[in-house]
Amino acid sequence: MTTGMTGRPDPRSRRARDATGLRAVRGVARIGAPAAAGLFLAALYGLPLLATAGNRLALGDPVYASQMVGLGAHAAAGLVVAAALVFRAHPSRRVALAAAALLATALCLLATGLGATASDLLAGRPPAARASLASGAWIALALIGGGLGLALRRAALPGLGPALAAGLALLLLLAYRQGILDGLSLVVEFRARRGVLLSALGEHLILAGGALLLAISGAILLALWRRGQGLVEGLLGGVQVVPAVALFGALVALLAGLLRWMPALRDFGIGALGPTPAILGVAAYLLLPLWRGINQALRAPDPATLDAAAGLGLTRAETLRRVRLPIGAPTLIGALRVASVQSIGLATLGALIGAGGLGRIVFEGMAQFAPDLILLGALPVVGLSLAAETALGRAEDAVRRRRA
Amino acid sequence: MTLLRRLRPALGLAAAGLVLGACAHPTVASRLAAALGEAPRRALSPAHLSALALNHLALAATGLALTAILGIGLGILATREAAAPLRGGIDAIAAAAQAVPPVVVVALALPVLGFGGPPTLLALVLYGLMPVLRGTVSAIEGVSHEAREAARAIGLTRVQVLGRVEIPLAAPGIVEAVRTALVLAVATVAVGALAGAPTLGTPVVAGLQNQNMVPMLQGTFATAALAFLCDAAMLALLALLRR
Repeated sequence: MTTGMTGRPDPRSRRARDATGLRAVRGVARIGAPAAAGLFLAALYGLPLLATAGNRLALGDPVYASQMVGLGAHAAAGLVVAAALVFRAHPSRRVALAAAALLATALCLLATGLGATASDLLAGRPPAARASLASGAWIALALIGGGLGLALRRAALPGLGPALAAGLALLLLLAYRQGILDGLSLVVEFRARRGVLLSALGEHLILAGGALLLAISGAILLALWRRGQGLVEGLLGGVQVVPAVALFGALVALLAGLLRWMPALRDFGIGALGPTPAILGVAAYLLLPLWRGINQALRAPDPATLDAAAGLGLTRAETLRRVRLPIGAPTLIGALRVASVQSIGLATLGALIGAGGLGRIVFEGMAQFAPDLILLGALPVVGLSLAAETALGRAEDAVRRRRA
Repeated sequence: MTLLRRLRPALGLAAAGLVLGACAHPTVASRLAAALGEAPRRALSPAHLSALALNHLALAATGLALTAILGIGLGILATREAAAPLRGGIDAIAAAAQAVPPVVVVALALPVLGFGGPPTLLALVLYGLMPVLRGTVSAIEGVSHEAREAARAIGLTRVQVLGRVEIPLAAPGIVEAVRTALVLAVATVAVGALAGAPTLGTPVVAGLQNQNMVPMLQGTFATAALAFLCDAAMLALLALLRR
């Protein structure tokens, strides 16, 4: 048996574990930090940062770092290299915090530098001309973001990640208000479609949230039907196998048939196209993870605990509320996390059957082959699902730690 | 007799797949559409449908191969002692990759990779990576400590321990993870239709756009049939291997 299995915690072994942790991180940091910084420099100086074109659909001419206005890009390069070097030298938690601060500054400098250069390039050109972010800028921004995430992980300060994300968002909003980013085609597209984007976001949240609520109530009902567990498992597993595009199609066909039989349903706002089949279809996919989570959570307490609860004279309802639910809480939140992320993603497909949502903007962009329009719809979807994944993942960890 | 019993789950799935496949036939699909009250419209010929199915399978198989190589490789790397501090990072990247829905990957990759297969394959790999990676890691971690120690004690090198002890013992878990990824791949390829890749999702998307129920039903049934049949084939293979 390992020392970890003995009852009393040994302070010396804990310190030893921290030391080996630092040694192991040092090994990774020695290679990883310079490699990531090298990649960043290669993307920043080797690939085009912007592309200028006569209109929003044309392919652009590349613009490299040497043509950038101001020192934003070069300063960002210096800060990233500095962050990599200090972290390589001593990958402690405090240095990770300093590296995160350097990277966050680099991110702001690079973003504003790109915005300024874009405005400069467009000055004096017709209003249809666009300057869009090119491969080098995307890779550089993604590398800074990834490095920031890893540094925050290493710093392991509770609440720092959300605070930094909020701070960066606020700074970007300020830059947007000041018009610093106005040259970038993505911002131009956003200004032109702000109303559409906001209403699409609202529709998307209603689709995803409605499907989640419907699936939660469905999963609870199915979990209550103890005798049919085998049948339920087979059916829900079968649904997962059917591609979303196909299931949405089948639901539209079925609802159209149903509405022909019972036209009165239309009075309740049910249509063969639109939100009804989308919410039903998305909910169908969420049933399996939720139902499994509920079943596992209810089975989480071991028989001895349940015997003890019965011995204390708890009723079944009390056992559920005071024993089964608290012990199964991490599993329940885990299932909710999987279901929410899936719900946000699948709701995108709802636009195919006229349900609206952010998918409407994505598909419009695909039809026009307009990259900025695709990004305008896709970035909020990615942001929403990553936010749901991180927030519920943290909640899961917190509940699990409290139980342990 | 015992073989038949072991194959029973696979046979059930295969039967469901065949029934669904029969529903995709033009005559049956037209009847079904008529039963739902649709005016009879032109259906896809069986030849066209099977050509789409073949392309669908080829894309899914390529994506699955890429996913399996990448996922199993990363899983083996992640379970090496030297990579212990990287574990959290690898896990976070795989989780983030799966949080990005396949439609969005296809849409974002469209301007960069162009129409057709490449964006679809990228979506498949990103979406299937996490199940394979997680399955590989937990299968290798499930190998008992004693087995590993014994192998080291008789003088096997680290690479030999991996090849002769860890991978053979973890094989069922790894194959199970690949099976999950296969079903995901077959279902996800349909999304490629939005990027212009000819798959069984193509008639569904086209049918939705011009309100023609018959090809939509055909595509729906054919995709579901293909997914069930692939799952059945994989289950049967597993049952035969587990002898």
